[in-house]
Amino acid sequence: MGDLRIIVALFLIGGGLFWLLVRAIRGKEVDRRLIFVFILVSVAAPILFTITFEMKPTLVVQALYDKIENLPAGSKILLAFDFDPPMAPEVQPMADVVTRHVLAKKHKAIFMTLWATGQAQFNITLEEVIRKDFPDAQDGVDYVDLGYKAGNEGVLNVIRTDFKKMFPTDVNTVPWDSLPILKGIRSCSDFDLIISVGGGKPGVKEWVLFVGDPTRVPTAGGVTAVVAPMLYPYYPGQMCGLLGGIKGAAEYENYFRDNHPQYAGMDTPAMVMMGPQTVAHVVILAFIVIGNVLFFVTRRKEVKR
Amino acid sequence: MSRLAVVVFVIICAAFALSWAVRASVTEGDHAMRDAFLVTLSAFMTLAIMSFMYRDNPYYKFAEHLFVGISAAYWMCVGFWSTIVGNLVPRISENLSDFFKVPYSGGGLDFDLFFLAYRYFYMIPIVLGILLLMRLVPKAGWISRWPLAFIVGTFAGLNLIRYLQSDFINQISATFVPLFVEWHGFGDFFGQLSLAADGQFLAMMTNLVIFLGVICGLIYFFFSKEHVGWFGGASRFGIWILMITFGASFGYTVMGRISLLVGRLTFLFRDWLGIIS
Amino acid sequence: MRHKLKLVLVLVLCAWTTAAAQTDTALGDSVSAAPALPPPLPVTNLQAFDTDNDHGHAITLTWEKSADDGAGENSVLAYEVFRWFPFQVDVVDALRKSVSETRDAVRAFRIDLPRAENALHELSEDPGKLRTIRFNVARPSDSTFELTVDYAIRALEDTIAFMRENAPILKNRTKPLQQDLEKALARLPQAHANYPKDGEWRSLGKALVGSTTYTNTGSKETTADGFFPDYADLYYRVEAVTVDESIRSEAATVGPVQSRGQWFHTGKVPVLGFVLMFFVFTLTFVQMAKKGANLYVRPLSGIEAVDDAIGRATEMGRPILYLLGIGTATDVSTIASFSILGRVAKRVAEYQTSIIVPCYDPIVMAVAQEVVKSSYLDAARADDYKQESVFFVTNYQFAYVAAVNGIMLRERPATNIYMGKFMAESLLLAETGTLAGSIQIAGTDEIAQIPFFIVACDYTLIGEELYAASAYLGREPVLLGSLKAQDWAKVVIMAVALIGMLGTALGWPAFAQMFQVTG
Repeated sequence: MGDLRIIVALFLIGGGLFWLLVRAIRGKEVDRRLIFVFILVSVAAPILFTITFEMKPTLVVQALYDKIENLPAGSKILLAFDFDPPMAPEVQPMADVVTRHVLAKKHKAIFMTLWATGQAQFNITLEEVIRKDFPDAQDGVDYVDLGYKAGNEGVLNVIRTDFKKMFPTDVNTVPWDSLPILKGIRSCSDFDLIISVGGGKPGVKEWVLFVGDPTRVPTAGGVTAVVAPMLYPYYPGQMCGLLGGIKGAAEYENYFRDNHPQYAGMDTPAMVMMGPQTVAHVVILAFIVIGNVLFFVTRRKEVKR
Repeated sequence: MSRLAVVVFVIICAAFALSWAVRASVTEGDHAMRDAFLVTLSAFMTLAIMSFMYRDNPYYKFAEHLFVGISAAYWMCVGFWSTIVGNLVPRISENLSDFFKVPYSGGGLDFDLFFLAYRYFYMIPIVLGILLLMRLVPKAGWISRWPLAFIVGTFAGLNLIRYLQSDFINQISATFVPLFVEWHGFGDFFGQLSLAADGQFLAMMTNLVIFLGVICGLIYFFFSKEHVGWFGGASRFGIWILMITFGASFGYTVMGRISLLVGRLTFLFRDWLGIIS
Repeated sequence: MRHKLKLVLVLVLCAWTTAAAQTDTALGDSVSAAPALPPPLPVTNLQAFDTDNDHGHAITLTWEKSADDGAGENSVLAYEVFRWFPFQVDVVDALRKSVSETRDAVRAFRIDLPRAENALHELSEDPGKLRTIRFNVARPSDSTFELTVDYAIRALEDTIAFMRENAPILKNRTKPLQQDLEKALARLPQAHANYPKDGEWRSLGKALVGSTTYTNTGSKETTADGFFPDYADLYYRVEAVTVDESIRSEAATVGPVQSRGQWFHTGKVPVLGFVLMFFVFTLTFVQMAKKGANLYVRPLSGIEAVDDAIGRATEMGRPILYLLGIGTATDVSTIASFSILGRVAKRVAEYQTSIIVPCYDPIVMAVAQEVVKSSYLDAARADDYKQESVFFVTNYQFAYVAAVNGIMLRERPATNIYMGKFMAESLLLAETGTLAGSIQIAGTDEIAQIPFFIVACDYTLIGEELYAASAYLGREPVLLGSLKAQDWAKVVIMAVALIGMLGTALGWPAFAQMFQVTG
């Protein structure tokens, strides 16, 4: 029944596009509100009828996966949740799956954020991933949340050489020295990997500039799609991996699930979102074709006139 | 206000109330009414913003102004609690730290430098911050240029090294790529020709595009010579590379915007209407 | 007599036999145990020196591997590094811990005391709040114990009394402890100099087999655990260790060595080089521009189109809309936009067309008014200048967009010029301008917005072309000189990239290594 509804929906969309193409060939203008309706339907239908696609990881995504996978157990990984609710649809899935991967490999996860809203976003990961999938993980031993610190690049400048100065306690005011997970960490140089998840400023670029490059600690990022193209120049010399937008998150989820069968039943929100994403992209591609057809037809008519 | 507008307003209010009631009846937990109200409000605000796609209307304006007002107030509060209370108070006063219930970090040894305790150094940013606020006073606005100059100078100094190292020197180093990768002669190259992602051909093409793209892109932005002849040709290649990059960036941005739409629609269908799990 | 002699002889014989038997037994034991492995050979050429390019508090050790590294039965598994610690370090650590614990206790009392008093007050007023009380009351671990209101009140009263009694005592103890700690720290260098008296060797850690270096790093904070003193004589020892940790080489010792901070970071020399290069180029070309040298800047198609667009507007009798973006007056792109506005306003004044400049920022509006006014004066059309043509709209992003879109649809300008800093509103503005049938010329340095302007506008100045346009139009020496300096820097970059590519291809890594920046 579900497949039938998907097929009907896709037929409707396809039929509508064909009708638009015919209108374009006849040289008739298309009301922009019609385009909004098409986008709405092409996004809503796959959400309602759940279309998902298999994803193969691209090189940049695979690189981050391999990095986490190949680190020896017990490695200390710093995860920075530098995003807010508007970015969450794209970035929260990648934050969740990376956290799951880190804890599944028995690495030590140290969380922090440079955004005031990042703490609330981490709490979602804490409830949905850490407490659900890793109930035995102990706060202060297997993971710790250091919380939010205001100061943007100023914070990065300090933690590059002295972490405790900026975060004397964790988010629950437990002193630094009382946390076993932080033993041996004096600065960012003592981490085995730094992963920043976000899409604004301060974000992955600032982590690379102010921490990754000076300390030579492997740095990776998960960012919104808008920001991703500007970070590709940093790969692979200055970044060891990059998840770009919801596609990157979906690839990572797929690959992680395939290689960790014990998590076969995990939530894969990014993969679910790629269904409507893909259909919408196909519709937009069709619009580009239709728009060009309309352009050339209109120009030919003007030339004839 | 026309009769139609009144009718629309009444319908919207009724729909809001109905949605709230239905939501509250299906929500579990101690705060069902509150959670239901918040979900319904969020959904209506989403729809109000989306109504702009039809045309500008008072509901869109209301939602936009509400968002702007709440954002301004929220960030003001966050700024106070995270910067003033979070960063400044713990360094200057133990009593204030206890009042705001933040750990006092200005302690340690009382470091005496020129008979000043270390924590008094933090009075300087307080004074500079007050001077910056003088911008709001028309006659004293000129004073704010001093702390502004301090801010601009500090950030320029800090960022100069970082950007030069990461965005300039390291990027130049990244163009030191061999154009012939694992070269063992033409016979071996054509014998093993494949489009595999880790193959020799793609590796060479990648390096070639990186190198030529950088050189020709720089030539495009070279303003001291007219772009004619071979120079113009290289410039044209450079602008092609730039346009391909902008196209990729555009595509990524479209993907990002669609993702946000997917997120919003998922919220509407799942959290508000409850028609998907 | 003979009997006594015989007795003595027998006794001696017995004693000898017993001793021989024991010896035999010992020999028997050694035969049954495996022969002991010989210890591995020690490391050679052990050196210790201050770690370079840091703020001090670190020493680097280097050595040549043991000959038994990765060879033979007694193969080396790791190299254990020791440092000589005077016992004074333990005194400092103990005092530091006391200071820290005392301070934490005082702080805890300050926060917890009012909390406990509040909880007591709430509980006394309303015993029903027992379950929701926020100050945790310690209770016996007996699982059958049930917390009662009376017990909770007694526990809270005891806790409050304890905190009230001890808080001042602890507070008074803090300063003397701090002073003791300071004195103990001051004695550390002398204690280190007393080597080998009053101290012991302690392990710092191990370096894996094959390693030839180890860095001992510590904290520069005197109050931190792991404080590493600068300017103190330090002694190190390295032992090669096998699988059986009791079988290890002789120790190689090195010292005294002192750590200190450096003033000059040699790892950042490439950065210094490029800064100096930019500095020299910029100064040189600015000076040349100031002296009136004719510095060529190639024409930009977007700027060439401005004159045509203004002419079009004049013919059609429609105004020109100029947007400075949503940046502030300190943004580089807004500053560049002022130059272009000046040129546009002058042409507009000469052709007697009208211009509309809605502004996002009040300070930008003030500057824009001055720019337009002076342009009209330059064109000898001071009377035609209308102050209301440059006005403030709002500094909320999308409200600004909505207002400008309204202007476009009402006034139907012939030409829209977008020069400055734009964010998400770029496409909204450009689309509405297309709907209104205007010619659109845009320029921004926001990389994310350039694609939108390119698809929606007729001419676009990409990134640095905006700055070049302002230099091209304004011909100010500083702008012109900076532009030429950047051009020459690009020449250097292209040359370096070419040499680097050739060097990598021909197996000359030294050139690439020159551009490695550390720290």
